[in-house]
Amino acid sequence: MTTETQGWHADPALLSSYLAGALDAVTGASVEQHVNRCGSCRRSVSHLLEPRLVERTWAGIRDAVERPPLPVPIRLARRLGLPEPTAVLLAAAASLRSAWLVGAFLSLSFATLAAYLSGGTALAPFLLVAPLAPVLGVAAAYGPRQDSLEALVATAPYGRTRLILLRTLAVLVSVLPFTALLGLALPGPLWLAAAWLGPALALVPVLLALAGFVGPRVAATVVLLGWSSVVVASTRRGLGPSWPVEAGQQGVYLVLALAACAVIAVRLGIDRQRGVAL
Amino acid sequence: MGIIPTVTDAALVAAVADGETGALRELYERHGAWLHARLLRRCNDPEVVVEVVQDTFVALWKDARRFRHDGEVGAWLWGIAFRRMVSRLRSRHDVVLLPEWDVPAGPRHVLPSAEDLVLLGIEYGDLASALRRLSPEFRSVVQAVVLDGLTTKEAGRLLGVRENTVKTRLHRAKAQLRAALAEPQEGWR
Repeated sequence: MTTETQGWHADPALLSSYLAGALDAVTGASVEQHVNRCGSCRRSVSHLLEPRLVERTWAGIRDAVERPPLPVPIRLARRLGLPEPTAVLLAAAASLRSAWLVGAFLSLSFATLAAYLSGGTALAPFLLVAPLAPVLGVAAAYGPRQDSLEALVATAPYGRTRLILLRTLAVLVSVLPFTALLGLALPGPLWLAAAWLGPALALVPVLLALAGFVGPRVAATVVLLGWSSVVVASTRRGLGPSWPVEAGQQGVYLVLALAACAVIAVRLGIDRQRGVAL
Repeated sequence: MGIIPTVTDAALVAAVADGETGALRELYERHGAWLHARLLRRCNDPEVVVEVVQDTFVALWKDARRFRHDGEVGAWLWGIAFRRMVSRLRSRHDVVLLPEWDVPAGPRHVLPSAEDLVLLGIEYGDLASALRRLSPEFRSVVQAVVLDGLTTKEAGRLLGVRENTVKTRLHRAKAQLRAALAEPQEGWR
């Protein structure tokens, strides 16, 4: 409000000494109280202040105001405490986009529905899909064909390994919770709801280790065929519906996972400079 | 500049709420420089001041709808800006400027003329002399809470003392001021 108080205005000398910090506190506070309510004195101040400082501030404000708003998932990730560059890198991964996530959710839901309707005799669809969803998600999260930021990532001074592990983590975080929820709907003993986690968590390092040699696409195909043949073979041979995730088999997955991690670690050690292990 | 001086600040805030960058620019023309000046009197680091003013106007851009049209825009902006600066300075007490209560003796020091003093004194009357007689701790609390409009919690953060200490000091300072104002007016030169 530009109310001109009492026709009196602080003269430039008084304002300059205020700006220079040369007034004592009481006079300074009085000047402030006056200028706060006096548009004309505020204008005088803007002539006395370093114009470059004021323009620099405005440039920053304009940039912030005119920048298009970030997409919702990125803002969500930022709310959760991720720094913005990391959030942008994550959002560029194909398997973290909503289309992919909806697809994973639907296929898992159908698999759960099938197991539920069969009353526990046909667990195979769920056991087939649940561990593969995170694996395919990770495989689709990086690589020259899937990554829209690939050209940038390849030239940026940003560790590739770090990017891949980061996205792997994000995929697991986005897929595992609702798979776990669906698992609770499975008929049969309660441990079944968590049993699929064993192969799911084992297949991811296996995929990453393989991808280091043959690329994510081939590696994903190998893992997919491998896991499918385990599940299909177990039903063909008339083993119990939960055979693929029973204690003995879980031990095998654990060994596999450890071996895969060891391979990754060894290759990381060799290729530390170039960071191409993954 | 003041291209549209007839438009009130409140109307400009309403225009900003509708997404008009021109209105934001006009508000910046009217209040930006003064906000810099006031903050620079409280913080020694121009970088911090620039960032705080930027944050303030970006906040204005985002939250213009929340402005209650019963106060002054300038005071509202100052409230946002100073709070942001206090939280930013929490870990940087080296750049906090506390007001100089005793007239500094500098070579280029310009004293306000007698007329200026009288006219500025209208805002306070003999409150000025009463303020000058307060002890330094009391004065800084009065400055932060009464003049700059911080809460006692924020003032404690700014001054590096506990909130309860701020409350006690403020209470005593007010009592002293009241007593001083009740006295018959004496030396207000």
